[in-house]
Amino acid sequence: MEIQIDTQGGSAGGISMLGEGLVQVGMSSRPIDDDDRATYPKLHFKEITIGEDAVALIVSKDVWEGGVHALSKDQIQKIYEGKITNWADVGGKSQRIVFFNRESGRGTWVTFANWLYGSSKKAPKVNLLEVGGDDEALTKVVSTRGAVTQLTSVRADGKRSFALGIKELGNVVDPAVANIASHRYPIFRQLNLLTDGEPSGEVKTLVDFMLSERGQDLVQKCGYLRLADLTYKR
Amino acid sequence: MAVCFFAAFVCSFAWQMLPVWKHEGSGYVTGGTWFYRTKQFGCLPMIYGTMAVAGVALVLAAPLGLGAALFTAEYLPRRTRVGVKVLIEILAGIPSVIYGLLGVLLVREWVYRVFASLDILSGDTLFTGGILLAVMILPTIVTLGDDALRAVPGSQRRAARALGLTKAETILLISLPQSIRGLLSALLLALGRAFGETIATFLVVGRQDNHQPENWFSLRPLLEAGETLTTKLGGSETNIAYGGSQLHWAAIVGLGFVLLVMVGTITAIGIWQGKAQHA
Repeated sequence: MEIQIDTQGGSAGGISMLGEGLVQVGMSSRPIDDDDRATYPKLHFKEITIGEDAVALIVSKDVWEGGVHALSKDQIQKIYEGKITNWADVGGKSQRIVFFNRESGRGTWVTFANWLYGSSKKAPKVNLLEVGGDDEALTKVVSTRGAVTQLTSVRADGKRSFALGIKELGNVVDPAVANIASHRYPIFRQLNLLTDGEPSGEVKTLVDFMLSERGQDLVQKCGYLRLADLTYKR
Repeated sequence: MAVCFFAAFVCSFAWQMLPVWKHEGSGYVTGGTWFYRTKQFGCLPMIYGTMAVAGVALVLAAPLGLGAALFTAEYLPRRTRVGVKVLIEILAGIPSVIYGLLGVLLVREWVYRVFASLDILSGDTLFTGGILLAVMILPTIVTLGDDALRAVPGSQRRAARALGLTKAETILLISLPQSIRGLLSALLLALGRAFGETIATFLVVGRQDNHQPENWFSLRPLLEAGETLTTKLGGSETNIAYGGSQLHWAAIVGLGFVLLVMVGTITAIGIWQGKAQHA
């Protein structure tokens, strides 16, 4: 059995390539919505969750050492919309905020916007610096003073990049594994394989493998949460 | 055959982008706001970005490239010249993503450090993109410039030397004036390449939407992030548009068309100038 894996274009790419029939299995880190169904009416989207992870705001070292370790939802909204432009306004040292916004078709961005605005469709127009993949986002945050981006929380290494917690009613919830597994940390997402209808044949072999112990170990190896790790009621 | 194919291609472009022209009219190229959710499609900031990065590239690469062309064509002995040309043409063949990665690793950091005193936001700027493009179009300028200079007959040079002109005078009074159109053509073709380059620019330009300078001729906006036609097309919005509304897709196709017109015009003038030299 031969498998080709292509990781271009983020979740939007995964969905549209499955929709166009270019691939048998799509990968997406955002749920299929009505728009997707309307665009590809003939397709019977089947989502198979193989793991979960959290999206965190990742900041550069100078921001973290300046004293910003967590932000409230309201503060994040104001930063995203450009109403707060200096870290001093959220308890840090005076330094302009450089927001590397993820491209709006990406699962990371959709997860972030869904949490921040209830629905990513309600996200206002912003003119921020834009970055594509996880690696690009991380590289740029690490090398820029006052930088912040939305990124899967596991990519923060705690040396040059740091994941901020979320302030809720005076409490701070960090994107630690236990908090993600229990969904106490609020910005989480399912990582899905997408197929057209119930998987069968070779596609089913692949899907079954990803759900098997070996497949799940791979999920964990990449830093994501295995299905067995999740502690909230599914 | 090729012409038919190209014509069909352009027609299909024109057909697919029709909705956005109906929706925006001339505002499509003069409007400064692009946000697909509110159905606003103005691509002026992207046209500006494209011109800005290509302009920076040309300003940086032209003196270097033409100087190198003069050197290879006028001073190097024939054998060495061929060797140098081969090397330069190999440079032209390096995939642009390699340049892009070098840009992310080196040029971004360099720009960020050098202009730190000007309080720039990050290393992702139009200027950074311009530097990368300058490196990328340099081989084109050198090799085409060299060809243009070599097209001036050697008998002319020998005649000039026989009349007592020095080497430098011969270059200045004979070679350069006679090859000026060819050199201009080399610059224009290089500019065309800079307009169309995507991935290298993509990684370092910041891709900030709707960033229009207050003063169009000021240099300061070059140290800020921007978006070009190609970086917009290379981003995830193309995927969104493809699965999205007809209008949004039309707007994206329109960007390709505007780019095609820009590159096509510059390249056509370049080729025409180059031909005129030999007429």
